[in-house]
Amino acid sequence: MKARTVRLWSVVHTWTSLISTVFLLLLCLTGLPLVFHHEIDELLGYAPQPEAHASAARARPQAIADAALAADPGRVMQYISWDKDEPGIVMAFTNNAPDGLPDNATVRAFDAVSAKLLGPVGVGPMLIVLKLHTDMFAGQAGKLFLGAMGLLFAVAIVSGVVLYWPFTRRLRFATIRDHASRRVRWLDWHNLIGVVTVAWALVVGLTGVVNTWAELMLNQWKATELASMVAPYAGKPPPTHLASLDDVVSRAKGAAPGMEIAFIAFPGTPFTSSHHFAAFMRGDSALTSRLLKPVLLDGESGEVADSRALPLYLQVLLISQPLHFGDYGGMPLKVIWAALDLLTIVVIGSGLYLWLARRRKRTSVRADAFARRAPVPS
Amino acid sequence: MHGSSDHSRLWIRVFAAPILLGAATITGLLAALLWGTAGQYVAWVTVGAPVLVIASVWVRCRTKKTEQFSRTLRGK
Repeated sequence: MKARTVRLWSVVHTWTSLISTVFLLLLCLTGLPLVFHHEIDELLGYAPQPEAHASAARARPQAIADAALAADPGRVMQYISWDKDEPGIVMAFTNNAPDGLPDNATVRAFDAVSAKLLGPVGVGPMLIVLKLHTDMFAGQAGKLFLGAMGLLFAVAIVSGVVLYWPFTRRLRFATIRDHASRRVRWLDWHNLIGVVTVAWALVVGLTGVVNTWAELMLNQWKATELASMVAPYAGKPPPTHLASLDDVVSRAKGAAPGMEIAFIAFPGTPFTSSHHFAAFMRGDSALTSRLLKPVLLDGESGEVADSRALPLYLQVLLISQPLHFGDYGGMPLKVIWAALDLLTIVVIGSGLYLWLARRRKRTSVRADAFARRAPVPS
Repeated sequence: MHGSSDHSRLWIRVFAAPILLGAATITGLLAALLWGTAGQYVAWVTVGAPVLVIASVWVRCRTKKTEQFSRTLRGK
């Protein structure tokens, strides 16, 4: 590699890293507790616990909706979700209006068998950490900004891999020059940790970027696929009364055999039209349980209106979520995720140190040269 | 010709381990997603491999330092 090419890549690596450093540190530091958010919520008493039941007969979906509305009088239902990892709990989202802002939604957990209110969900200190991590309390603009920082991170990683060659070609893999200066030692650690974690950092970084585009993707789906699915209902007024949720869920299951319900969106919410319930169905394998299939049902009669697979970009979004969160391989994978997150913090910190050390060195060299050139006072 | 094969050998020496670790990481990330419980076990080993490499290098460096320190003490 020519010296000029190395210099060019070095400029790319330095500036893409420097611009994104503060935000990447924020993302890594907030991402660390988020890996264990279930455990932290449980420890702090913010995780609702299901009751112990002898019978396995689950509460009717309509009973859950009734209990949620009774717990939040004057508000409307937005969603009900069934988490496959927490079968004892059903979550209900209420808001001021069907299309109310996500920040105004109240999420409550109900017992899956008795439909008893167990408590609020998504409250406590982890909510602040989550908001800092996803949008820095700046809404969609904050999300997109962090997405841009994620793209800079990806460029920094690629340029770092290119620079790995000229900096390490004379060394054996994993050499740490212990007898050299502190700067050289940290350069070796920076190169080693950076190159061994490159695949994980790229996957987590890029899936994070994809997640920041979630709302844009959902809007695109609504404007294209969903619009064509509900076209026969164009011009019809919203339903005056809603079909029983029990009928809706049972018909949705009939339309997607072998699948179970992941969540249901009420008419007028961002995930459906003003006329339809949307039941999002999931499969039972490790992969298909992540890929949802929407079934649209008439809001008044509960009849199945249409069902189509999600487009590729939304499937990519759904697959990117576990790859970003690291919550799909049990506690050992979470611990590894946290260790890799800590190693990324070391790479970012050491990169900053190396840049500062080089600057200091350059400044002192320049000062020496200036002193040598300056006339000696007589 | 000779120079080119030297260059290839050097390239392999520099990038072989990082490529292997990268491939292992990607395999593990996908395994847990595609192969259920068996895939989770694969992921623990392969995604954890980079952490093990760093840990072993750190232990090696610490051991070397400790040995040098005790040699210096014995010399005194």
